Amino acid sequence: MFVNILNGVVYGSFLLLTSLGLSLVFGLGRVVNFAHGALYAMGGYALIAVMHAVGAGYWLGLLVAPLLVIPIAIAIERVAIHPIRHRPDVDTLLVTFGLSSMIVGGIEYVWGTGTRLLPPPSPFDAIVYVFGNQYPIYRLAAASVSLLVSASVLLVIQFSPVGLRIRAITDDPGMAEALGVNRKRLLTLVFGCAAGLAALAGALGAPIFAIHPEMGMNILIDSFLVVVLGGLGSLGGSVIGAFFVALTKSIGGGYFAEWSTAFLFLVVAFGLIIRPTGVFGRGRVA
Amino acid sequence: MTTGAPASCDVALQAEARKRRATAILIVVGALLLAGLPFVGVPPFTITLLTEALIFAIWAMSLDLMTGYTGMLSFGHAAGFGLGGYAAGYFAREVTADLFASLLVAELVILAVALPIGFVAIRLSGAAFAIFSLCIAQVFFQIAVAWRAVTEGMDGLVGVPLPRLLGVTINVGTAFYLLTVLTAAAICLGLYQLVQSPFGRTLGAIRANEDRAASIGINVRLHKWLVFVISWAIAGIAGTLMVFMKAGTTPMSLYWIESGNVLIMAIFGGLGTLFGPIIGATTFVFLRDVLTTGFEVWQLAFGVVFVAVVLLFPSGLAGIVSHAWTLPWRARS
Repeated sequence: MFVNILNGVVYGSFLLLTSLGLSLVFGLGRVVNFAHGALYAMGGYALIAVMHAVGAGYWLGLLVAPLLVIPIAIAIERVAIHPIRHRPDVDTLLVTFGLSSMIVGGIEYVWGTGTRLLPPPSPFDAIVYVFGNQYPIYRLAAASVSLLVSASVLLVIQFSPVGLRIRAITDDPGMAEALGVNRKRLLTLVFGCAAGLAALAGALGAPIFAIHPEMGMNILIDSFLVVVLGGLGSLGGSVIGAFFVALTKSIGGGYFAEWSTAFLFLVVAFGLIIRPTGVFGRGRVA
Repeated sequence: MTTGAPASCDVALQAEARKRRATAILIVVGALLLAGLPFVGVPPFTITLLTEALIFAIWAMSLDLMTGYTGMLSFGHAAGFGLGGYAAGYFAREVTADLFASLLVAELVILAVALPIGFVAIRLSGAAFAIFSLCIAQVFFQIAVAWRAVTEGMDGLVGVPLPRLLGVTINVGTAFYLLTVLTAAAICLGLYQLVQSPFGRTLGAIRANEDRAASIGINVRLHKWLVFVISWAIAGIAGTLMVFMKAGTTPMSLYWIESGNVLIMAIFGGLGTLFGPIIGATTFVFLRDVLTTGFEVWQLAFGVVFVAVVLLFPSGLAGIVSHAWTLPWRARS
C-alpha cells in the first residue's frame, strides 16, 4: 500500500510535467494539443537516438533530448497550428490529432514497434529501503527532478515578466494584446517549452516506464483527465489534478489491477457531474 | 399548415417537400445501383471493399449526426462501434448467430452504456467534450484488453459465426453486401428524415449557439443526450455488421486511431452533409487498400492526409462543391 502511494507520487510528478504543458498551451492559445503524448514519446526516442548515435551516456541524452524536441515543436507550431489560429478551436484539435498520428507513425517507421527497456543510470541504480519497503532509488530521483522543474515553471509563470504576459493573455487575450503583448510569438515560445517539458518527462521516465511508440498515449489520456478535472487552462488545477489522478490510479491499481484506468475514469466522470467546469479550478468548459 | 400562413411560406414549404422527396428518391436509386454492382461483373474483391466502405459509411454518418449536425466533436467514436462489435460478436458466438437477436443484444448493451456516459459527457462542450470522448474510447480499449474472460485480451474475439437471417445463413460476399447496402440505405434515409425534421433543425440551432438555443427554450442537454445515444446506437449497427464481416474483432477496433479514421472519413467528405461521409468512407477504404504496405507507413500517411485535409480543405469535398456553388452568388451581391 505504501509502495502504491509512493508510485502514485512518482507518476504524479511526471503527469504534472505533461499536464502543465497542456494547460499552458491551452490557456495561451486555446489550443488543445492532442500531439502532446507524441511529443512525450519523441523525448524518449530522442534520448535513445542520442545515446546510440553519439554513444553518450544517459545524463547527456537526458539534457539533449528536450533540446532536440523543442525546435521540432516550434516548427510544427509555425507550420501547422499558427496558420489556422483564426479558425474555430476544433480545427487545431483536428490538426494536432493528425500530427500525433504522423509522429507516432514516423517513430514506428524509424525505430520499429518494439518496446525498449533502459536500465536506471549509475549513481541511481540502487535500491533503497523506505520505511522497510524496497524501492528503486531512480524513481525518487526522477520524481524530485520533475517536481523541481515543475516548481520552477510555476515560479517563472508567477514571478517573471514573461510569466506575467502569459497570465495576462490567459486572463483576457484581447486586453493583453491591446496592451502590446505579442500573443503569436509567446504562443510559439510556450508551445516549444511545453513540448520540451513533455520530452523531458519522456526521457526522464524512460528507465521507469520503458520506451514504446505508443507510450505517449496513456500519459496523454491521464493528462487529459487531469486538465479536465482541474479545469482547462488552470495551472493550480493541474497541480492538484495530477496528484489526484496519479494517486487514484496507483491506489486503485492495488485493488482493481488493470481496471484502474476505468476506475479513475468513473471518479472523474462523477466529478464532472458535480462540477462541469473542472472540480478544482474555475476552468473553462468550452 | 394553418390557413393564415402567407403564400410565400407555402411556396417555400412546397419547395422543401420537393427537395426532400428528390433526395429520398436519390438515396433509393443510389442504393439500387450499388445493389446491382455484383451482377454486372464487378470482381468479388471490390465488392468486399465496398461492403467495408458502406459499413464505415454507416459509422461515419452516425458521427456526422453528432459532430456535423450538433457540433459535438467526438474523438472517441470508436467506442460505440467497437462496443457493438464485441457485444454482437460475443452473443453470436455463445448463443445464436441470428442477426436480429445479435443486433438487439448489441443495441441493448450500447443503450445501457451510452445513456449513463452520455449523461455525463453532454455536460461538456467544445474542446472539453472532445477530450472526454477520447478518454471514454481509450478506457473501453483498456477494458477490452484487460477483461480477458470475455474479450480474450489483445488476441481479440475470434470465431464469430456467419450471421443468420430468418433461418438462412448469409455468406460473406454478395449476400452480405446486399444486406449492407440495404442497411446503409435505410440508415441514410432515416438520418436524412431526422436532420430535416424539427428535431434536426433544433440540433442545428444548438450547433450554431448553445446558449442562444437554451435561451429560446430548447432543452439543450436533453437534445445532446439523445443525439449522443442515437449516434452510438447507429455506430453499434456498423460495429455489428463489421464483426460478422470479419468474423471477429480485436481491441484495436476501440483504439484512438479508429476514432481518428472515422473522423477523417466524415471530415474528408464534408461534415454536416450525409453524403459527404459516404464518399469519405469509400475514398478512405479504397485509398487505404492502395497505400497499405505496412502499418507504420499507413499510420504516417494517414497522419499526413489528416493534417493536409484539415489545413487545406476544412469543410471537405462537399465544402469545395458548395463553395464553388456559392461563389457566383457572392460575386453578384
